[in-house]
Amino acid sequence: MIGEFEYLILSSAARLGAEAYGASIRIEIEKATGRRCSIGALYTTLDRLEMKGFVTTWMGEPTRERGGRSKRRVQVTATGVKEASNFFRAISRISKGASWTTNRSTTR
Amino acid sequence: MDNEPVDHSMNSRKSWLVVLWLSELLGQAEREAVLGDLTEYGDSGGRAIANVLGLVVRRKTAVLLDLRLWLSVAFVVLPVSFLLSAIAHATAGEGAVYSWMYLNNWDWALTRNAGFWLVLRETAMNFSITCLVLVCWSWSAGFLIGCFPNAVLQAGQNTFILLLAVSFLVNAPARFIHFWMFLHGLPLRPSLPDTHAPITANVFYHVFFPWIVLAILVILPALSGIRQGNRSLLLKRKMRVVLLTAATISVLVMLIHEPGFGFLLGARVGAWLWRNRNAMPVPPWLCCWPMFYFLAIGFGRYRRRKAAMAR
Repeated sequence: MIGEFEYLILSSAARLGAEAYGASIRIEIEKATGRRCSIGALYTTLDRLEMKGFVTTWMGEPTRERGGRSKRRVQVTATGVKEASNFFRAISRISKGASWTTNRSTTR
Repeated sequence: MDNEPVDHSMNSRKSWLVVLWLSELLGQAEREAVLGDLTEYGDSGGRAIANVLGLVVRRKTAVLLDLRLWLSVAFVVLPVSFLLSAIAHATAGEGAVYSWMYLNNWDWALTRNAGFWLVLRETAMNFSITCLVLVCWSWSAGFLIGCFPNAVLQAGQNTFILLLAVSFLVNAPARFIHFWMFLHGLPLRPSLPDTHAPITANVFYHVFFPWIVLAILVILPALSGIRQGNRSLLLKRKMRVVLLTAATISVLVMLIHEPGFGFLLGARVGAWLWRNRNAMPVPPWLCCWPMFYFLAIGFGRYRRRKAAMAR
């Protein structure tokens, strides 16, 4: 099964679609989690996901707002979608009945 | 200068220079993507440096954790650097003696002696062959290293240069043989007075000359071999197998040739090699295959150029 950070990357890339690349995925993750996302963690995890066949990446065209530099574009593969949905189902199942999903407080 | 994030303060410019310098340690494509991301995101100053540094550290650590690197170091880089440093030491010693004899003690009166020219010609010929074989061995060793997977190539190359330099500096092969003899209870050679004392007293021959020999006859050819080995990944499979086999044979010949090091293959094999050493005259051309390789490349280029001109 994939890890939490891998799931975050797969979900952001799937949401962003054709606009999924390093910087945009990083912004999505930071917005969603409220935590900083380092480039080192992002790129090494992307490599791992690509090695597992969950995403494909390629160098896109250079753009002006990036100082004429290319983007590393990301696309989630069918296997990646399957893995991410498996992870989501597992998280949903395990979370059923937990206080934070039912708004009941169990801490005293 | 490369485009930098919008903040143009002096500090930011300095940080960006550090970022550019650090990013040189990344691959070309990754460098491009990372610098673009930093520019677009607006990361600057310490945060940009921390981001790039973090990625560089992760990349370098990943290489160190790659089992392929350690296997290549154990089975290729370490023995090859060890052997080359031993042969370079011997060649440098031989070269220092001849240079001192002929350059530092030149006497014009000797030039009238026919015997002097005969010995000089023979010495020059033998020493040139020794140097040529060492260059070819170094190139072949480099070629083998160049065939490593790209992920571990840079680390393999750096380790090779480092081990070669350290082994040469501390004369590790000689120390290793002494240690081996000591372990097996073999009598060590009694220390004799230095017959080359006037040469070793000369700072140039004692300190600089060996390193010049190592750089010219070992490091430069090995680096060229590494480049060619890496390029050979683009050749057809059959051709690659032929080149790789030639490089491996050349390196194995080096192992047999170097007295005492056959014992690295085990005491029994070492003893057999030692006994049959004279029965295995290794044709020099077998080690000098890189020369034929370059000749073939040159001939191929010449034919292509000629064909292009004819069109």
